[in-house]
Amino acid sequence: MPTDRASIMGIFDTETQAASAIRGLHNTAYTLERVHSPIPSHVIAGAMEAPKSKVGWFTLAGGITGFFAGFLLAAFTSARWGMIVGGKPIVALVPFFIVGFEFTILFAVFGNVLGLISQARLPRFKQDELYDPRFTGHKFGVLASCNASECNGLYHFFEAKGADIKTAEEVQGEPGQPPQGGPTP
Amino acid sequence: MTQTALTYQSIDDTVIDTLAPPDRNYWVVVALLFCGVLMGAVCWLYQIFTGIGVGGQNNPVHWGTYLINFVFWVGIAHSGTLISAILHLFRAGWRNPIARAAETMTVFAVCTAGLYPFIHLGRVWMVYYMLPIPNQRTLWPNFQSPLMFDVVAISTYLTVSSLFWYTGMLPDLAAIRDRATGLRRKVFAIISLGWTGEYEQWRHYTRGYLFFAALATPLVISVHSVVSWDFALGVVPGWHTTIFAPYFVAGAIHSGLAMVLTLMIPLRKIFHYEKIITVRVLESVAKTIVFTGLIVGFAYGTEVFIAWYSHNIVEMETFRWRMFGDYAVEYWIMVVCNTVIPLLFLIKPIRTHIKWLFVISIFVNIGMWYERFVIIIGSVAHDFLPYAWGLYRPTLVEFGIMIGSFCLFFFLFVLFVKHLPSVSMTEMKETLHEGGAHAD
Repeated sequence: MPTDRASIMGIFDTETQAASAIRGLHNTAYTLERVHSPIPSHVIAGAMEAPKSKVGWFTLAGGITGFFAGFLLAAFTSARWGMIVGGKPIVALVPFFIVGFEFTILFAVFGNVLGLISQARLPRFKQDELYDPRFTGHKFGVLASCNASECNGLYHFFEAKGADIKTAEEVQGEPGQPPQGGPTP
Repeated sequence: MTQTALTYQSIDDTVIDTLAPPDRNYWVVVALLFCGVLMGAVCWLYQIFTGIGVGGQNNPVHWGTYLINFVFWVGIAHSGTLISAILHLFRAGWRNPIARAAETMTVFAVCTAGLYPFIHLGRVWMVYYMLPIPNQRTLWPNFQSPLMFDVVAISTYLTVSSLFWYTGMLPDLAAIRDRATGLRRKVFAIISLGWTGEYEQWRHYTRGYLFFAALATPLVISVHSVVSWDFALGVVPGWHTTIFAPYFVAGAIHSGLAMVLTLMIPLRKIFHYEKIITVRVLESVAKTIVFTGLIVGFAYGTEVFIAWYSHNIVEMETFRWRMFGDYAVEYWIMVVCNTVIPLLFLIKPIRTHIKWLFVISIFVNIGMWYERFVIIIGSVAHDFLPYAWGLYRPTLVEFGIMIGSFCLFFFLFVLFVKHLPSVSMTEMKETLHEGGAHAD
């Protein structure tokens, strides 16, 4: 982020307050950076207006790969000696379909996990500066950024929405006053 | 209703309190269970060095307690997936408080089940014969065999249920990390993969979780169907029947739900989960047990009816002998414990009484173990050729290994409940919240 930008985290008690702040931010010049919540929330999802996750495509790709991998493994191994077993054809569709089915599920799950960790950008061990440990417990966080000159306005915007506020200055040990910079909206 | 008293914070406090350093009693229990595991391991070692003959399996019964326990533990695993995946898709809110423990039960039960093919091999160092690796003559395993279906299905089930379990735990691991200090914080920071509850993470997580549930559902049905085909594809009276797959799946869920009650009731008491795992939750499990018990009872009746209706004398003799022959006691234990005793849950005061729930769950566990005994032993001990009929009794070595496997399961579970969250905090918070969007 450029140095003339500043970020403020609004910390809310309820998802409704957080969603209201998110909707409000869409109508301002401030940039919504990220949102934290202890649960997956319909209300916040509605306010974010984000597109559907693409994880399903990874799952589908994994599943298709898995089916062919399983079926072809069974067919290939059977064809290596070409020996009739139990009166069934060398490439027996019904039993090999079962192997293909199990591999479909296995590879689809691998694809699903791969999709999840790549799309959600996990693992990520460096914690963001304004992250608050209460976000995994009972608080909702909305992080927004603005030009350094508009900090005061953003601060008051969050205050009006009922948030506790966390700023970079507070994190660095200077709690208390709103940041200096510009009029309130 | 007690659940209204819960808040996000009280849920976190209740669950995280269970991870406090344990007292001496806990370690005594862990030590006792570990001794049981050691005893099982010693019995297995004795078998490896002496030979598979120290077990009671011999003509005509080659599949004894090792296969009984294998099927029993795979069955126990199934209700975990029923609760975590199938009931999740059906939006059954009552499953949330017990989903984590049930999923854990699944993982440990599959691990325990997975040991039995190794034990039954005798020459365990030849285990790689089960893997798709060619031998020195470039001969591969036969994928037309139901035993190879089993290898593929059980390995897939273990992998999928472990990943499902771990993925579902990520938000809770992060919640523990954020309240921990020192080494524990570092450990949980790593295993939570840096989860912060960001919207972007939830957006992909909920989608991924939904697909997990959607994939686990057909998987769980296929796994016990495949296990049933180990028997049904053999031309043995009492085994060679098309109802085996649904019969086994229903039985698996029946036994697994009973084990859920057996584990949840002490857990609830010891960890003061009364507000989270309410009587209503346990009652819902009991109602489901009535349902699965009726399906299992219907399957028992169908087997006998089809044997009679077929006019096949071998089939008729097999079922006559099961009911009135040498293993009649085991047969009637199976019938009474699995289909008659669970009907007591139709009476509300019984299904809402904790002691009754616990006692009946134990009876169902016993009944389901005997079901596997009756199916596996009862058919091969008394099949087509009267001169080849014979009886089977487990030996002390088999009992030692069996007790060891039970101890291993409870040992792992007891370690789990003190070191990882045994109730899903996230899903409990969603239960409180109308706006919850898990897996949507």
